[in-house]
Amino acid sequence: MSQPATRTQAKKRGGSQGVVEQRSAAQIWGKSTLLLVILFWCLFPFFWLIMTSLKKGDRALNSPDLFQGPFGIQNYEAVFQQDFLLNLRNSLAIAGMTTILCVLVGSFAAYALARLPLKRKILLLSAVLAVSLFPPVALVPPLYELWRTLGLLNTWEGLYIPYTSFTLPLTIFILTTFFAAIPKDLEEAARVDGASPFKAFYRVIFPLAAPGVFAAAIIIFVSAWNEFLLASTFAPRNPEIAQTVPVAIAAFTGAVEFQRPVGTITAACVVVTVPMIIVALLFQKRIVAGLTAGSVKG
Amino acid sequence: MATTSTDTKRRPGSGEGAPGRPRKKEMSETTLGKVFVAPAILLMALVALFPVVYAFVISLQAYTGRQREGFAGIDNYVEALTDERFWTSLEFTLIFTVTSVAAEFLIGLGFALLMNQAFRGRGVTRASILVPWVIPTVIAAQMWFFMFNVTPGFINNVFGLGDFSWLGQSGWASFAIIFADVWKTAPFVALLLLAGLQTIPEDVYEGARVDGAKMFQRFWYITLPLLKPAILVALLFRTVEALRVYDLPQVMTGGAFGTESLSILVQQYVVRTPDPGLGSALSTITFVIILGVGLIFVNFLGKELVIGGEGENR
Amino acid sequence: MIRPRNRSRWAAAGVLSLVAVAACTPGGDEGGGEGELVWALGGSEAKPGGVHQQVAQLWSEQNPDTPIRIEVLPDEADQQREQQALELQAEGSNFDVLGVDVIWTGEYSTNGWLESLEDVRGEIEEASIPGAFESSTWGGELWAAPYNSNAGFLYYRTDLVDEPPTTWDELCEMAIEIGEQENIGGFIGQGSRYEGFVVNWLEYYWSDGGELFNEDQSEVLFDVDTATAATEWLAEAKESGCLAPGFNTAAEEEARNEFQSGNVVFMRNWPYAYGLIQEDQQSPVRENFDIAPLPTFTGEGTISALGGFNNAVSAFSDNKEAAKDFVVWAATNEEVQSMLAEDAVPPTMQAVYDQFADDPVMSLLGEVLAEAKPRPPSPQWNAISVEMQREFFPAYNGEGDPAEASQAVQEFLQSTVE
Repeated sequence: MSQPATRTQAKKRGGSQGVVEQRSAAQIWGKSTLLLVILFWCLFPFFWLIMTSLKKGDRALNSPDLFQGPFGIQNYEAVFQQDFLLNLRNSLAIAGMTTILCVLVGSFAAYALARLPLKRKILLLSAVLAVSLFPPVALVPPLYELWRTLGLLNTWEGLYIPYTSFTLPLTIFILTTFFAAIPKDLEEAARVDGASPFKAFYRVIFPLAAPGVFAAAIIIFVSAWNEFLLASTFAPRNPEIAQTVPVAIAAFTGAVEFQRPVGTITAACVVVTVPMIIVALLFQKRIVAGLTAGSVKG
Repeated sequence: MATTSTDTKRRPGSGEGAPGRPRKKEMSETTLGKVFVAPAILLMALVALFPVVYAFVISLQAYTGRQREGFAGIDNYVEALTDERFWTSLEFTLIFTVTSVAAEFLIGLGFALLMNQAFRGRGVTRASILVPWVIPTVIAAQMWFFMFNVTPGFINNVFGLGDFSWLGQSGWASFAIIFADVWKTAPFVALLLLAGLQTIPEDVYEGARVDGAKMFQRFWYITLPLLKPAILVALLFRTVEALRVYDLPQVMTGGAFGTESLSILVQQYVVRTPDPGLGSALSTITFVIILGVGLIFVNFLGKELVIGGEGENR
Repeated sequence: MIRPRNRSRWAAAGVLSLVAVAACTPGGDEGGGEGELVWALGGSEAKPGGVHQQVAQLWSEQNPDTPIRIEVLPDEADQQREQQALELQAEGSNFDVLGVDVIWTGEYSTNGWLESLEDVRGEIEEASIPGAFESSTWGGELWAAPYNSNAGFLYYRTDLVDEPPTTWDELCEMAIEIGEQENIGGFIGQGSRYEGFVVNWLEYYWSDGGELFNEDQSEVLFDVDTATAATEWLAEAKESGCLAPGFNTAAEEEARNEFQSGNVVFMRNWPYAYGLIQEDQQSPVRENFDIAPLPTFTGEGTISALGGFNNAVSAFSDNKEAAKDFVVWAATNEEVQSMLAEDAVPPTMQAVYDQFADDPVMSLLGEVLAEAKPRPPSPQWNAISVEMQREFFPAYNGEGDPAEASQAVQEFLQSTVE
């Protein structure tokens, strides 16, 4: 157990400091400019969302000028008048369950693929991949019939079970890659000490692959959170049961037919993006910090 | 998929003879492997197998509207493949996939290298980089429609382009869609590559630095090769996703100006003008195309992974 | 699995296990009580506070044995149709009354999803606007009861235009001249590639005397020359700057925003825009616009494509009699239909329009609806519409030949009746 820890520690230290040593003033300038460009690229549309969500009435789309008022928080009030907290709860539960199931089931499969003597691994990987490749829209009618028969329409299970199935291929591929990249001698050492393969897996491999595991977790969570097609077919209505956030946002209507409630949509979008950024940051810290976050701050 | 799972079950003791590991009981490891893989296979088979088989069966039937008329054999496939619209949408889908995935890879790699470094304000930067990707696709697509469209014209306003019609002419409409996709999904690539960068043991760099390797050389000869599996996984899943692109062209142009993707065509025959037979045939063809592309990646990736697993049991 | 080493990991684990524990769906009340009807329709007016809710409430008060509850479907027509279709394809009895768009009648009835309303044909026909009634029939049989109608108007700027144009050519002349003077766009409508474009195109085509089918829709009357002329006119309007810059990417809301911001002279849109523009305190055109019937090519009369939806009884309903009573009541009861009009939702009952003669929108609607034509509610309408979009859209955008496009559509229409 001590061996892997030291190893990652060494890795971490080099990773951040090696680059710092070599900086010159010009590099810093170049880097700052680059940073600004990146921030603009990533954040300008989000900034647009925020500004638009704060505009009152029809101004949201009438004027290309982001700073033309009048401004107000009516759109946010409108969002929370619509059971939006219930939608957030549903999405959190469904995406959370999908993530747990995927990581759990997927890491066992990935470990077997990366480490254990299985025949025809490539064929197995291909089959796994194939699962996620059928055009989703063509899967909806048969799945709907099946779900209807099984009573899974308008339930959380009805969503997180298919999400898990369709995200497992990605999970397995990511985790297999990361498990396979871990030096074998570490595991061997643990095995010499008498650990079973199972123990070796969750004591040695799993923690060492933490960056991959957490990267996979964020990806699973976000894709489950944002999924629209299945969610809008299997749980199209009723926030108090299972309607998810994207479906709720798509169901926003204007005051009259044809009117598109851009203000409310953008406000809702800002509302859901904030918790997502927090979740992503939490998980991402694990990716970057690896095992040693407790001991090395950097 | 089912074949594979039964396949592995039928061969007890098939893993023997892995060289150089005399301590282990091969029987138990092979069994353990199967036990580990089984839940995943079951879960995927449970949900995915039935609809795929169902769609394939349906694709061999003739329909008028939603009513079944009888067995059609490969008629639906012939109809799909002789339809000019299939080929134009395939062309757009391929162009979209190649350009957007290439751009996403380059930008994502840049993001990942940046996120992997220590600098002041990196917390904010990392958060910002992830913002585009956590916005639901349906909403991001609408947002880019508003940004690009002549009315109200946010992008035209920012860059002083007057009434330039991005979405109202061929070429630029595709550009706008690809741009939006790159914006939206480059962070996905970045995340995977960042995780990959994190698992590269630092002592490899130490050695290179002693040898006096320049930054670019270090990147080219050390980072890239070690990052290869992560790159392949990222490219694989971006490619198969891009080949099934639906929301962005549907919302931004409705498929006008040569931006109709294969998935839009499938959606038309499954939902809008229902012809389950033709729709399922188109789905199956799309599936085969995507699987073909996917298998190329899996082959490369398999080699990488098997090297990681020291060549046992290919 | 991982040994927790710090607080954030504990927190994450805590959140996840909470989620895991709570991972069973909270209960909700599924289905209604005995005798309760479910009315599946979409849009803003179906939501709490909307006028359809008030109608449902009125019925429930008057018929406590068979109250009705609205199941709100999404706003977008394609999604409404898909959600109804999934339920009906599975022969589910969850929906008793269906809000059926005027173009779905043929498809739904051919699939055997609707209960025939032939036995109440007389009273419904008598009360309803002819166009709306026509859109409720398919194959000579009545499948739905008209409820909510719609038609297009020409919106124009009273500060720039003295008399609204009566022909499309006149409209373009004025649009170009005034547009150049004021440095704004000319005419905007629904020019993006979607169903709305087909509606707009049909208005050009019909107003030049074109037809799609004969009365019982057994024969194609599509005229290639008229269709070519209509498409060529639109292509030329685009070239000459008569169409505003955003025309070919505009749906209803894009058009309204342009007009409301004072960026165009003319707009083709539904009546809903009228109230919204008037309410907008900052709109420069708020007090400077009016509505007129759509122009034609001949200069005579007006013609508009008919919108809206009708109510139908699901063939799989457990309570067909009550459902049928409801749809007849909603189509023929003056109180109900007046409620719609008061909420600026166009009703289908002829008599109601006479009562609202003082209301500028309703009085013009009454006039226009009398001449409005429904799109043929053929079972194949969606396919026909997609074909028209694929042919005429590129043709007017200079990426296709109008004559060839018309020829292709003609052949497609022919294939639907064979």
